[in-house]
Amino acid sequence: METELRIEARNLLEKGTVKSIIGFTKGSLKFTTTPLFIRNPDDVHKLVVNRFIKNNLAKYLAEVKECVGIVVKGCDSRSVVSLIQDKQINRDNVVILGIACPGMIDVFKVEQLAGCDRDLIDDISVSDNVAIIDFGGRRKEVELSQVLYDSCLDCKCPVPTEYDLLVSGLSHIGRNEDVGKAKIQELKRMLPEQRWTFWKEQFRHCIRCYACRQICPVCYCERCFIESSEPRWLSPMAQWQHNLGFQIIRTIHVAGRCTDCGECERACPQNIPLRSMVGEMSDLVFKMFNYQAGSDKNAPSFMAAYEVTEAEEIFR
Amino acid sequence: MEDDLKWQPRVVGLLCKWCSYAGADLTGTSRKKYPDNLTILKVPCSGRIDPLLVLKGLMMGFDAVLISGCHPGDCHYQTGNYRARRRITLVKRFLDYMGIPDQRIQASWVSASEGAKFAQVVTDVIADVKPIGPNKLFKEEG
Repeated sequence: METELRIEARNLLEKGTVKSIIGFTKGSLKFTTTPLFIRNPDDVHKLVVNRFIKNNLAKYLAEVKECVGIVVKGCDSRSVVSLIQDKQINRDNVVILGIACPGMIDVFKVEQLAGCDRDLIDDISVSDNVAIIDFGGRRKEVELSQVLYDSCLDCKCPVPTEYDLLVSGLSHIGRNEDVGKAKIQELKRMLPEQRWTFWKEQFRHCIRCYACRQICPVCYCERCFIESSEPRWLSPMAQWQHNLGFQIIRTIHVAGRCTDCGECERACPQNIPLRSMVGEMSDLVFKMFNYQAGSDKNAPSFMAAYEVTEAEEIFR
Repeated sequence: MEDDLKWQPRVVGLLCKWCSYAGADLTGTSRKKYPDNLTILKVPCSGRIDPLLVLKGLMMGFDAVLISGCHPGDCHYQTGNYRARRRITLVKRFLDYMGIPDQRIQASWVSASEGAKFAQVVTDVIADVKPIGPNKLFKEEG
């Protein structure tokens, strides 16, 4: 997988088709990767593809003005398409190096299963539907679906919807919608008051660092409504009412563009289950309007479009 | 508790300038009676109604938000109410999931000539909101 990607990256850089390649390289900590920008063709050996390339690199595209190559997984490619739909980037300015995503491993889940810190884990490997964890001379085999991110378990299209080169090799077999949606289903079984109390308690912990917004590939507004001081819609102070209000509005703003990549939840330092908000939003958009974010680059963006015959039932 | 007994719903109405607001005007000029629990805000078009306005209304303590615009196909700006329809439907369903009762977000189509319908809509909305009680969603203790 990696070799194919590196050869293509080298080609693109040498031919001058792209000025730079945005990809992943090995991180400084175990089982991590970090975004990598390559300009020199001799650096392509640094590119990696594995089960830890969890970040959504589409975030960088709205900022980069030159022609770039970008390494994307299924969800990321849909973010790229959303950006094209919203006219934030020009399709001709990106070379999309797609990876048929095998699902990303959540190291926190592995730590819990192994019962030790990631520094003590020697290796995490995958064969077929089984994840093998080696730690302290011991070996533990678990079902793959136990170690994948919830967002990956719930993934609807692991293969990029738009690409110039597709690197495939591993198939996404660990999917399990029941586990991926467990939190949302649990919330839906509650009474409305209980759900509100749940969110209220969650957002008491919010410190308003805006990491969710900063990491979101489709939160590209130069001025966010939350920073508007005239009118000041919501207070910038970390009070739960305003924290929750901010997140509700952010979720509505990304409706139809959010690909449920799960970056907001991963970025949250307070571990607020944000995917249970945006994930449900993506589901609603799909169920009510049969629209899946980022599946067609020529379609108008969701919130700017309408069908003449559409849901009327809530109107008196 | 005592306050709850005396409680009457307060509803904020976001009415489109071209149809619903004129419709509300007609209700008044034709001397139709309707509940006085509605605070009306005039907006240029139902398509202008940002979900933020809806949420802000609830945060300010209004018991419900009524959104009203021109009938589909009759928008002064051709397509504003179609966009509003998609947006408001989605917002209502999403807020319901978050735990804000369905009844707190109300929507209707009222044209400039439907004075009687406007009176009926407001009456229905108030009747719908009364059973769920005062909005304590954003109150600290509630």
